[in-house]
Amino acid sequence: MNKLSVDLTNCDKEPIHIPGKVQSHGFLIAINKTDLTISYVSENTGDYLFTPAKDLLDRPISALSGYFNQPDFNIDDLLKLGVIRKSFDAISPYPVEVNKNPFYLIINESVNDWLLEFEPVSLQYDIQSLVGRSASAMLQGKSVSALLSGAAVEVKKLINYDRIMIYKFLDDGHGEVVAEEKEEHLEPFFGLHYPASDIPKQARELYKLNLTRLIANVNTNDSPIITFKENTPLDLTNGGLRAVSPIHIQYLKNMGVYSSFSISLIANGELWGLIACHNYSPKFIDYKAREGSKLIGEILSSALEYRQAEEDSEAVELFNSTAIVLSEHLNRDKYLVDALTNHDKNLLNVTNGTGVAIIFENELKTIGQVPDDESIWELADWIKDNSDESIYYTHRLSEIFHPAKNYKDIASGILACSISKDPDEVMIWFKPEQLSTVNWAGNPDKPVTPSADGLANLSPRKSFETWSQVVNNTSEKWLPEEITSVLRIREIIVAHINKKANEIRLLNEKLQSAYEELDTFSYTISHDLRTPLTSIKTYAELMLKNKTLDDNGKKMLDRIVSGANKMNFLIKEILNLARVGRSEIVYETVNMQSLIKEISTEVWAAFKADNAELILGQSIDLKGDKTMIAQVFTNLISNAVKYSSMVEKPKISVSANMDGGETIYSVKDNGMGIDNRYYDRVFELFKRMDNVKEIEGTGVGLAIVKRIVERHNGRVWFESKLNSGSTFYVAFKNR
Amino acid sequence: MTPDIFYVEDDMDYAFFMQNAVQEVKETLNLSIVEDGKEALAKLQAFADTKTKPKLILLDLNLPGLSGLDLLKFIRDIPYLKSVPVILFSTSDNPDDVKASIEFGANAYLTKPDGYDNLIKCVHSVHDFWFNQHLRLN
Repeated sequence: MNKLSVDLTNCDKEPIHIPGKVQSHGFLIAINKTDLTISYVSENTGDYLFTPAKDLLDRPISALSGYFNQPDFNIDDLLKLGVIRKSFDAISPYPVEVNKNPFYLIINESVNDWLLEFEPVSLQYDIQSLVGRSASAMLQGKSVSALLSGAAVEVKKLINYDRIMIYKFLDDGHGEVVAEEKEEHLEPFFGLHYPASDIPKQARELYKLNLTRLIANVNTNDSPIITFKENTPLDLTNGGLRAVSPIHIQYLKNMGVYSSFSISLIANGELWGLIACHNYSPKFIDYKAREGSKLIGEILSSALEYRQAEEDSEAVELFNSTAIVLSEHLNRDKYLVDALTNHDKNLLNVTNGTGVAIIFENELKTIGQVPDDESIWELADWIKDNSDESIYYTHRLSEIFHPAKNYKDIASGILACSISKDPDEVMIWFKPEQLSTVNWAGNPDKPVTPSADGLANLSPRKSFETWSQVVNNTSEKWLPEEITSVLRIREIIVAHINKKANEIRLLNEKLQSAYEELDTFSYTISHDLRTPLTSIKTYAELMLKNKTLDDNGKKMLDRIVSGANKMNFLIKEILNLARVGRSEIVYETVNMQSLIKEISTEVWAAFKADNAELILGQSIDLKGDKTMIAQVFTNLISNAVKYSSMVEKPKISVSANMDGGETIYSVKDNGMGIDNRYYDRVFELFKRMDNVKEIEGTGVGLAIVKRIVERHNGRVWFESKLNSGSTFYVAFKNR
Repeated sequence: MTPDIFYVEDDMDYAFFMQNAVQEVKETLNLSIVEDGKEALAKLQAFADTKTKPKLILLDLNLPGLSGLDLLKFIRDIPYLKSVPVILFSTSDNPDDVKASIEFGANAYLTKPDGYDNLIKCVHSVHDFWFNQHLRLN
């Protein structure tokens, strides 16, 4: 016998398959398999057979026949037939007459015994044809949800309980009402969630073994099973009369339910859910009605299996088509993020998430329900620091990453995936906290009146509170299909980025060769331009020697000569620039002190800059191409002299210092300076400031400087203040 | 008649300027000009054959067909002309060209002066060096 005292703390350990009692709407006799004697009997058997139940124990099976007023009824033969057929399906229910009333005998197997259960017959009509019609009506539903509501309607028609619910077990074992058919006046339970503890694990195991379960009346007294085998309780797993756990009875009572009937739904060998039927008054349905309902349950189960697989593959199909569409967008659109986010079908459709964020090239873009930008950046940093994998997901983010508590309603679940080798570039999908999707009719805080046995707190309402704590901070789980989908998108994006990088590299190579071509071109064209230009100038000069020319003619010839000179100078500069790109750099140690002195002398002479002061600071020898370095300093010093010629006392200082691995030269003047509007364009070819029109120059000098310095892998920059002077810096790497 | 200066130049304009400039520097200086490398080769061969030796040879570097450097090499291979001073004359101031010319045995490399006035100056100094000083040195 079951001696365990059951309460809420141990109900999941209650051995409900050996309750030691049966529901009293029928009676039970168990026959020992080996010696075919009566091994167990429910106490109420005596009431039906008019003999003390105890007297039946240990008697041979043949003794039973005497209690039934049926000449052809031989239990021994029925058992033998069942053993040979290895099933009692074709035998049960066997009609018998008990006390002048029609009864069904239902035979099931227990561990060491045969269970003979006797139940009254209540159906007056043939249920088989009804079941067939119900099944075909139910199967009209094309989607899973239509199938389920159809099933609820048909079951209600078949057995007419007040409320029929289809209850689905979710991943963590808790249940949700996914379809309902009820009497109109009842409040709907549709959409409600029940905690996993409402149907403990061992009960769920029983549901898998015995597909229907009837509790006819929660208020009847169960009938104890008596036996001489005190230490071997009878296993009632397969029995239909099995008595109900007192906790479950209380649970039903708290809900106002008098009778309950459930049909198991099994998909892929697992308990998918239940068809739970509640009646608000006692209700008994006989074996045939239960078997008919069971058949509906079985048909629904296999349809579910099929439809679910179909819907799953539809989801996969949807993810696949999203991948294809995104891939097309990537090929067509100019910018990666736009391609992924700007269309009807976008990154959000890659998973079932409700929001998505993408961080690419240091920019954040989001779609749907997402935390604020700052939180996303913080989250991305955290993911970067805490995950080495390209993909990371959780459905309980705030428990691992506490700042996420602030936005758990939006992002209790995240699925993050890196886009490139750069760990800063990431996509994150979000799922909301699941609690927010749960509805419970009525006030969950409403207290329940305690009852004398202390079991009153057992109600779905109370359970709901317990459950809501469990699923706090938790989102729906990420499905394998979603993860596969994300990985596929990642692959597509990475391939796209690589392709783009390759295109850029090719473009770069083309640009490089175009640049080289341009150098060759400018070299050739400059060269070819010089010859006719020289002729023009020379003829003009020759003509000037003609004594018969008047002053006007002379003036015009002078203009030709000066124009030609200007053009010649410009061509020379372009040639110089082109040459920097073309010629090989011959590295040698350049004596800077003598070079600067030499250049200064030339420059001072060229610009007749007698009033300008040259301040030579430290000079450090450079390693580089002497001709080119000379060009750099000639240009910088010429500029310094030129653009300070208008001040009263021009001062030009040149000095060097070592910094890190570089030698940095500065050429400083106290001249007119550079307007900051021109800062960006100082080193551009042919760019000259508006206010230097009157100073001779081509706009090539600094372009040459920049090119030479860059060819030496050095750096060039400047500081300047309008009307107080400029300082140009060139930094060469020490070799 | 033995020319004082033998000048190979394909640019007729420049040849004209040179003619003018030489005359202006010294009337009596005798300048012989040919237009291309092939013609120049024939003339140089004729010099060798007839034992006429110009005092100075001016070669434009960039000539169609045979270049100034080819001619220079040819001159240096003819024993009779080997000792004649040769000046390479070009619009290019490319250091590579200068280097090559000197290596091939040019006595000097001159960048073509820009404009007539500069040309006069140039011819003056060439004349002074190669016809006055140089001769005295010899």
